[in-house]
Amino acid sequence: MEKDNEEYIIKCENLKFTYAGAKQPALCGVNLEVKRGEFLSVVGHNGSGKSTLARLLNGLLEAESGKVSVLGMDISEGNNAVEIRKSVGMVFQNPDNQMVASIVEDDIAFGPENIGIEREEIGRRIAWALDAVGMQEFKETTPSRLSGGQKQRIAVAGVLAMKPQILILDESTAMLDPKGRREVTDVICRLNKEEGMTVILITHFMEEALLADRCIVMNRGEIVLSGTPEKIFESGNELETYNLALPRISKIANSLRAAGMEIKDVLRPEQLAEEISKNFVKRGIVVGQFKKYPIKDDIKSGDWDIEIKDLTYTYSKKSPFAAKALKGVDLSIKEGEFFGIIGHTGSGKSTLIQHLNALIKLPQVEKRYRKPKAKKGMPPPVISSISVGQFDLGDKKCKFKELRASVGMVFQYPEYQLFADSVFADVAFGLKNFKKGLSDEEVERAVKESLEVVGLDYDEVKDKSPFDLSGGQKRRVAIAGVIVTKPQILVLDEPAAGLDPKGKDEIMELLHKLHREWCKTVIIVSHDMDEVADNCTKAAVLSDGKIFACDYPERLFARSNELISLGLDIPLTAKISNCLKKQGMEVNSDCTVEGFANAIIELYGGRNA
Amino acid sequence: MLNDVTFGQFYPTKSFVHKLDPRMKLLALIAYIVLLFCADNFYSLLACAIVLFAAIIASRVPFGRVLKSVKAIIFILIFTSVLNLFFHGGDHLLWQWKFIKIYQEGVIFAVFLILRLFFLVMGSSVLTLTTTPVALTDGIESLLTPLKWIRFPVHELALIMSIALRFIPTLIDETNRIISAQKARGADFESGNLFKRIKAIIPILIPLLISAFRRAEELGDAMDARCYSGSKNRTKYKKLKFGIRDLVTFLVFGALIAGVVLLNIYCFQICPQIYEFVIVVR
Repeated sequence: MEKDNEEYIIKCENLKFTYAGAKQPALCGVNLEVKRGEFLSVVGHNGSGKSTLARLLNGLLEAESGKVSVLGMDISEGNNAVEIRKSVGMVFQNPDNQMVASIVEDDIAFGPENIGIEREEIGRRIAWALDAVGMQEFKETTPSRLSGGQKQRIAVAGVLAMKPQILILDESTAMLDPKGRREVTDVICRLNKEEGMTVILITHFMEEALLADRCIVMNRGEIVLSGTPEKIFESGNELETYNLALPRISKIANSLRAAGMEIKDVLRPEQLAEEISKNFVKRGIVVGQFKKYPIKDDIKSGDWDIEIKDLTYTYSKKSPFAAKALKGVDLSIKEGEFFGIIGHTGSGKSTLIQHLNALIKLPQVEKRYRKPKAKKGMPPPVISSISVGQFDLGDKKCKFKELRASVGMVFQYPEYQLFADSVFADVAFGLKNFKKGLSDEEVERAVKESLEVVGLDYDEVKDKSPFDLSGGQKRRVAIAGVIVTKPQILVLDEPAAGLDPKGKDEIMELLHKLHREWCKTVIIVSHDMDEVADNCTKAAVLSDGKIFACDYPERLFARSNELISLGLDIPLTAKISNCLKKQGMEVNSDCTVEGFANAIIELYGGRNA
Repeated sequence: MLNDVTFGQFYPTKSFVHKLDPRMKLLALIAYIVLLFCADNFYSLLACAIVLFAAIIASRVPFGRVLKSVKAIIFILIFTSVLNLFFHGGDHLLWQWKFIKIYQEGVIFAVFLILRLFFLVMGSSVLTLTTTPVALTDGIESLLTPLKWIRFPVHELALIMSIALRFIPTLIDETNRIISAQKARGADFESGNLFKRIKAIIPILIPLLISAFRRAEELGDAMDARCYSGSKNRTKYKKLKFGIRDLVTFLVFGALIAGVVLLNIYCFQICPQIYEFVIVVR
């Protein structure tokens, strides 16, 4: 028994849990053992019970039946739950909602204060914890001035300061951009390797799950797979039966295999490149024989082109906190494009798109606008201009309401903007605002159409409260509420944020459908490079308030070194191409998973050669 | 609308006043307000004014910024002074129209009142301009600590204030986002009659409330996970410390108190010829 405790830091036996009012149990019979110093990753679709399991482990929830013991203590006995919480630190999903204080060091001190640590010791722990997450210089900063990744590192530090033995991260990277995610995962890997911290990482990202020693897959409240992450993700098609999406790399491998290439199951781009080049060598395909991928430069101007010139914008002008968000943006988006705007948090993406439907108006249309005077010896002041189709946004007479009806805007996490008591009323809200005097039948028809196009059953959901729907459904309702006016241009800020991989794929599918049938132009803001590579016809990279590049994905992602130096990621296909390039093989493709696989197959000599 | 990312009035410089202990500043402000109301002659008021302007200069906050805070109460200022102008009795009648009489005493009193309120508001804004809300909360908590003896929940109150401060910027951001989102759906918050405008707020208010509750729930979990269980057995990391600066301030205010008291007593002897213009209430 004694030895058991040494080895297994967490033991769960037959855990069951049902939320009050829920029909389905959240957990039905979970057995789990975690070794001291182990790095465990947990994956599973939304609602599979991952978070519930995490909350049972530190006593935030109490199991209906079954046994949890942590560090050899049974959690249900006496005061053990409090003791266990001291050694099981937990970091949650939303970085904003887990900070108590407005100053970083005060927030980190909160945990140690609660467990009665002496003042001097708290000071030492703050310094140590900040050092462990690499944020020493932010000791006296306000969290609201930090990026998502930095906030989440502070949250980790706040937990570390209590000197826990186990660290649980409950989708702590889901709301971060790739840079922030990397920051957080680097920290936890280091803690696991160097400090011997036991880590349980709940995540949707395969790249993160791969960091662990062991991975478990949850489906409908049960642990269905357990093993090394490589083994689990290599099992490919089996994942789909557990409501998980197939990793992109497995999709490519599958297509290549279907074309007769010999590809082993691999998970990392370098390995796949290796596999591909082995096949090439076998066929005697030599370096430098590949033709250029033709770039189709065929997008013509239309009635709904967007032209942005010299756009600058400063927040809190004339205050000591003034911050330049845009520093001269030139961008043109042609009608019919599926356009991607890439950039990490704080690059000015949101500010830029809010100009498109005049939520942020150009200064010259404001009432108090005065023309800037030219100063001697200085270049004449630059005046920003934007035009969207027929609308000139720099003109005071511009019909802003009509503009807003034509440029639909879906914000980040749009489900948080639902407010009405029925789905019908919420979707009809925009329509009634824009088009006064529509008959009831017309409203009903439009609402029905838009709910159906987003893939919801009109009769089933129309009278429901939007708050009773699932997360994915809410997002669909919110999108329906924007497209109900049939906008020509649809702009979406991070449309897939916070969804599980399958939900992401479904939303992107929906956007393509809307692009085909409903809206002329679709613009998405994203920091997921694979998403952009797979879906967009053209993309712009925004960095530090300026357009760094605007090009077709194939040309854009060919500049991978520059993108990486900006702190951005590159898509998987570009990573594989780069690896192949190092071996002297230049693959040119449109960077989509399909396009890339086809390019390889073509080079290989066709499907059945 | 709400488009400023910062809240409160804090004006960041690294001046003498900024570096003072918040408790000292709070106590000084309280003393200052009391003194303003004790002062009953222009000599005392002048003494208060000198200290105020010295503080403003020492804080290195632009004077216009301090004046800005007076704008908010300008209406009250005008209203009360006009009222006093007409209804203050006295011996020296200056002007009369039917039943409206204005006395010399009324004019002097009105001027005095305006200056008094003026200094009061400016003094308070020196505090808020030079002290972060966080420091202010710490100061209030520390000053209220003796109330623990009568079982007043000082710690809880301070935690509530600090969480409120922490979430104000977050909720302002959130409000802006919701406003933008509903505007994008054609909502109109700027026109229509009062009833219409109130109705137009619903699409902002409901999502905001729901989000606030969601945040509260998540924050509660996060606090639970970090072993929060009230003020019992809890230590405190941050301790405020009085320094030399605070001593200097203490001495300045000690001098001001003494000055005002003395001036109140001996104001008649300073310049007896003009005493009726200088002494206000007696």
